[in-house]
Amino acid sequence: MLIANNISKTYENEKIIDKVSLSIKAGEMTVLIGPSGGGKSTLLRILSMLTPPDEGEIILNDNKYKFPLPKNINEISPRPWPELTAVFQQLFLWPHMTLRENIIFPALNILNEEEAKKELDELIELFDMASFIDKYPNETSGGQRQRAAIARALILQPSYIMLDEVTSALDIEQAAKVLDILKKLKKKNISILLITHHVNFAKDVANQIIFLDKGKIIESGGAEILIEPKNKRLKQFLSIIESTS
Amino acid sequence: MSVLDIIIDYHMAFLNGLLVTVQLCAIIWSVGIIIGTLTAIGSIKYHKIIGIPARIFSFILSGIPILVFLYWLHYPAQSIFDLVIDPFYTAALTLTIVNIFGVYDLVREALENFPKQYLTAAKVTGLSKKQTIFKVQLPLIIRQVLPGLLLLQVIMLHTTLFASLISVEEIFRAAQRINAHIYKPVEIYTALGIFFLIICLPINGFAM
Repeated sequence: MLIANNISKTYENEKIIDKVSLSIKAGEMTVLIGPSGGGKSTLLRILSMLTPPDEGEIILNDNKYKFPLPKNINEISPRPWPELTAVFQQLFLWPHMTLRENIIFPALNILNEEEAKKELDELIELFDMASFIDKYPNETSGGQRQRAAIARALILQPSYIMLDEVTSALDIEQAAKVLDILKKLKKKNISILLITHHVNFAKDVANQIIFLDKGKIIESGGAEILIEPKNKRLKQFLSIIESTS
Repeated sequence: MSVLDIIIDYHMAFLNGLLVTVQLCAIIWSVGIIIGTLTAIGSIKYHKIIGIPARIFSFILSGIPILVFLYWLHYPAQSIFDLVIDPFYTAALTLTIVNIFGVYDLVREALENFPKQYLTAAKVTGLSKKQTIFKVQLPLIIRQVLPGLLLLQVIMLHTTLFASLISVEEIFRAAQRINAHIYKPVEIYTALGIFFLIICLPINGFAM
């Protein structure tokens, strides 16, 4: 279980995250929705332990991380990755490696060569990557790179995976495929935190939906908050999404 | 007397000059690349102690013509400190300092502008620090720096010609001496050009 308590983050005197508390249960999917600049990506980076918050605490399984970190410590310890991993909107594939190498190289830290190859073959089939797996990132499309980035995260067999707008670079068909894979991950007991504007997907699959605006959780709950939102700001946000989709 | 005749007849003079040029280059290239790279790494890690002074010195140096710097270290500096240093070492020191700061600027820029997202990817995929440095950072930085670094080393090879002006017996000085003896400037300097082409073209080709 991942628990965040009273997380706050300020950038240049502006509070980006304001005393946010949430929990992500094992095998559950939490979807973060909200307007741009509302703090979703910052919160995801904080929960991925990539950006330390100014205050608060994060509990990941048996490990408690208190913030701010003591002055003489620059890095969190123990390192939570790759048990907790993340895939971002911008594609972070290493450009000097082929997509295959990008996926297999970190996997060799946790799997032997044979296991890694087997896992990769399954992922190649799952993500339909056979035609471009041996190409370099700059030789592939945004959608192909995005699939490889997700595959790289999945081969690490994480317990928690944080996904920031991972379908944004994909066309409708590919996005549907990725979202379908996320449904399967849920069944594999992987906890997912997903930022997406696919409200209908959130309605269908998410165990928990969190509406974040101006760094605060405005409303959270199950699919019902999208069907019958109580908060005026969430209602307004959903009507904008509906009118643009 | 053709270019080939000159190369054959005066091959020993050319080879002796070339040997001095190669020795100069060996010092300028090796010390410049090693110290320049270490200074760049140090300047990122110890910004106040190494970074700021190195940047100031590099900035000042970029405004001084190499020839003026060489002459200054050869004449006034030795006079001020009451020293007499072999011109070869003065030339080696001058050009090595220039190369150190050239390499420093190239490597520092590559380190400062290294895309942070590749390090983030390394972190979330659980790579160790060693793996991140040697398998992600280093190959990408080398790929970025190498063309500029090789071109800089070719330029440094060209600048070794300045050493002849303070009487270092390198290849240009050898050519001048041969010319003073037989006065065939077109053929002699063509032969010199061929020497430089043989050395520089493969490096330039690799850099591209």
